[in-house]
Amino acid sequence: MTALPRRIIKETQRLMQEPVPGISAVPDDTNARYFHVIVTGPEDSPFEGGLFKLELFLPEDYPMSAPKVRFITKIYHPNIDRLGRICLDILKDKWSPALQIRTVLLSIQALLSAPNPDDPLANDVAELWKVNESEAIRNAKEWTRRFAMDN
Amino acid sequence: MNFFFDVVLNAFIRMLQLFWFGKRRISNSLSIYVKTNEGNTLCVDLDPKWDIKNVKEVVAPRLGILPEDLKVILAGKELHNSTIIEECDLGQQSILHVVRTQPGRNRTRKLNLPQDTIEELASENSDVNESGSKPMNETLTDLPLEEAEESVTTISEQEQEENRAHFYVYCSAPCKSVQPGKLRVRCERCSSGAVTVDRDPQCWPDVLLPQRITVHCENDFCLPPLSVTHTEEIESQILYAKFYFKCANHTSLGETDESVPLYLIKPNLRKVPCLACTDIRDTVLVFPCEAGHVTCLDCFCDYCTARLHDRHFEFDTVHGYYTLPCPTGCPDSYILEVHHFHLLNAHQYEQYQRFGTEEYVLKAGGLLCPQPDCGMGIIPQSPDTDTTDEECRKIQCIGGCGYVFCRRCLQGFHVDDCETQHPVLSSSQNPATGTYAVDPLKAKDAKWDEASKKTIKVSTKPCPKCRTPTERDGGCMHIVCTRAGCGFQWCWVCQTQWTRDCMGNHWFG
Ligand SMILES: [Zn+2]
Ligand SMILES: [Zn+2]
Ligand SMILES: [Zn+2]
Ligand SMILES: [Zn+2]
Ligand SMILES: [Zn+2]
Ligand SMILES: [Zn+2]
Ligand SMILES: [Zn+2]
Ligand SMILES: [Zn+2]
Repeated sequence: MTALPRRIIKETQRLMQEPVPGISAVPDDTNARYFHVIVTGPEDSPFEGGLFKLELFLPEDYPMSAPKVRFITKIYHPNIDRLGRICLDILKDKWSPALQIRTVLLSIQALLSAPNPDDPLANDVAELWKVNESEAIRNAKEWTRRFAMDN
Repeated sequence: MNFFFDVVLNAFIRMLQLFWFGKRRISNSLSIYVKTNEGNTLCVDLDPKWDIKNVKEVVAPRLGILPEDLKVILAGKELHNSTIIEECDLGQQSILHVVRTQPGRNRTRKLNLPQDTIEELASENSDVNESGSKPMNETLTDLPLEEAEESVTTISEQEQEENRAHFYVYCSAPCKSVQPGKLRVRCERCSSGAVTVDRDPQCWPDVLLPQRITVHCENDFCLPPLSVTHTEEIESQILYAKFYFKCANHTSLGETDESVPLYLIKPNLRKVPCLACTDIRDTVLVFPCEAGHVTCLDCFCDYCTARLHDRHFEFDTVHGYYTLPCPTGCPDSYILEVHHFHLLNAHQYEQYQRFGTEEYVLKAGGLLCPQPDCGMGIIPQSPDTDTTDEECRKIQCIGGCGYVFCRRCLQGFHVDDCETQHPVLSSSQNPATGTYAVDPLKAKDAKWDEASKKTIKVSTKPCPKCRTPTERDGGCMHIVCTRAGCGFQWCWVCQTQWTRDCMGNHWFG
């Protein structure tokens, strides 16, 4: 395995020393490019009280290409699919090498606070979120209770 | 009396020659050319430890004049007697210009010069040994990319030292690589290097744009064109500097040996961390955006490589260069000197040039031969691609591989309708893309779940519109062709245009 770039080491150190409130990101024992992430559901969101596990992987050409992130904990959210993949512009075409793991995690946290059903999503969650928001929020709370608490 | 004086002078000169000959056993000598304003060139060996006064003492006898009657010019500056050779950015076979300053000669030349110039010259002549300054490379501070604001702040010698300008060039021959560069200047009218600038350049526009800085030209043969009107005559007295660069890595191959300045590459004087790797490196590339974003040269290459890989260079709208903007997406930040891409290796630069040409053909309404290893640019006679006329659909790669293909589906030419719905590419049809044929089982394998097992599988399929190989490494099935100018939105599964159905059925596979 090639040496870990200094940038990744620095970012990791900073994540350890000054963690983002409500987010923990710990590198895997065997692969320093693979992070175990836990995001707490933001207050006043349907995800409040939940602890969401994510995985984050830094590809070979990071930071020229974006980290790969996925929810492991099931979540009812219009911008996150059944397999936990996230629809977030900075993970795709809006990625810039000036952004960091920290920025990505903050953006994901923000996405939990403010779901965006108008993003090019046509899955059933987004559909319901648009048609019947209160029911969608009820579902989200229910999923949070079932999958993101006491696990 | 006159005769006697000449004898004494000659004896004196001979003595000097002997004296200097003795002293000329130089440890690491610098072989340079001395050019006079009368058009003579002498080859002289110098000790880098000598000062300019020593140089004059060596050169003057060979010209048959006194050292006091000489001035030495390098890169637009008359050098002061106390300047040490090694302080100047002289290399082997560099050129120093020497100019005679006998009062008699100057007087004849002065006749048609404006009044203030006469006074300047007169004051110079009164104490010629104290005239001149340090060389430009010692005094020039780092040049900003934009017009410099009038800064009146005086800086200490130490600060000046730390803030000294360093130049980088692309040396096309013989080095064929990015090298440190040397700034030189010549007279715009006669191309003589025996000029002194009236002020130092303060910003890159001063160096790159014409007629920003005036010079005093010492070339006797620098003649103004015949002027008719009085204004023309006055204008013809004004001479401008023309700056150019030489590679500092190889022995000068003469006066025409120039290199392209890579003005975005700078010494990292402000110790700015690279925006990608966050290391503070000595040499950086400063993007021409308002924020002046900085990357180290390694990360710049990574950036270019990544963008080259998915053909994501762009045409800047103003000049049409095939180039890249600041990686953080700042507006108006295109790199306009594309020689900077020589920081890539030779193979990548070749690829960059090829892609640029291909994109240009496509932009001009042409298309590229779809045969692998050909990619010849073809501009068909009829511009419209929507034609159903068989003959207009039929394109032959003339001048390339000779392949005859259908313009609409880019497959081998066929008489019937194009099979655009499911272009299953059999390997016999297209060996390069055949292996990327959609196999639903394979597509399942490439899903994120597998990817999370530490290996993210990357697979490639051609854009259904322009055939640019596109990679997908996880994420959704909605693909936007990254090729600038195409931007076709397509579905990885169906390999046709992205539809609402794709979104509903297999957005994430
Ligand atoms: Zn060179
Ligand atoms: Zn001239
Ligand atoms: Zn860097
Ligand atoms: Zn920028
Ligand atoms: Zn061809
Ligand atoms: Zn066809
Ligand atoms: Zn395309
Ligand atoms: Zn589809």
